[in-house]
Amino acid sequence: MSRSLSYERLIHASPEQVFDAFTSPAGQRELYGQDDPGWIVESICDLRVGGTWSISFGPAPGQLYHHHNVFEEIDRPHRLRMSTTEIRLDGAPLVFDVEVTFAARGEATLMTMTQSGFPTDALRDEHAIGVPTTFDNLERVLTGSPP
Amino acid sequence: MGSCYSAPIGALSTTLDKTFFALADPTRRGILEQLGGGPATISQLAAPFGLTINGIKKHVAVLEVADLVVTQKVGRTRECRLGSAGLREATDWIERYRAVWDLRLDRFGRFVERTTRGGA
Repeated sequence: MSRSLSYERLIHASPEQVFDAFTSPAGQRELYGQDDPGWIVESICDLRVGGTWSISFGPAPGQLYHHHNVFEEIDRPHRLRMSTTEIRLDGAPLVFDVEVTFAARGEATLMTMTQSGFPTDALRDEHAIGVPTTFDNLERVLTGSPP
Repeated sequence: MGSCYSAPIGALSTTLDKTFFALADPTRRGILEQLGGGPATISQLAAPFGLTINGIKKHVAVLEVADLVVTQKVGRTRECRLGSAGLREATDWIERYRAVWDLRLDRFGRFVERTTRGGA
């Protein structure tokens, strides 16, 4: 079973364009945005190894989610690696690693985001014997495989 | 779409927190592994870990709060067996989390293609 969540998108633009959009204020606003009137996205990005990318987003000033990333590797336009902390409304953190790769596919780019370090390793490793159905579901979710 | 965006972290409920907290301890994971083979009493669970009855009871209580273990008094002993509610919630949460990121990346991809006029 995979230890991570992975997403792929084929985007009709060059790796440089996709990479630059992903790390630009406009692209980051789009990533966390939505069409609801009044929806807030505040993004501050210091694109350098050790730099931080902080995003706050939500429907109202008092209802914002906060994501805090620290860049661990920047290889434009091929790869980004970040340590991510997502803060819940109640202040509890969720910490994991994120890798984003940008691979040329003809005139398009295959963008792959992998989030790893979810606290599901323990679920996988220690519970598979006792709760097989649940772990089948978990594996399906984590690997994106059909039921 | 709005409801998906507002769901991700807020949906990480207290039950799920308890599940992950319970699983963070190797002794508790060992207890669950042992219960994977079938129900056991507190005494039977304590033996392999070299723990006191009270020590193992504390671990079982944490697992019980997270719905990972269910206990039932049988005569003079307390029988423990696996529960699955906590694991189900963890699975549901990950499903919702994935859906949120799918929406974000769809939106981002459309943005890039719109702003670069469809290609390199």
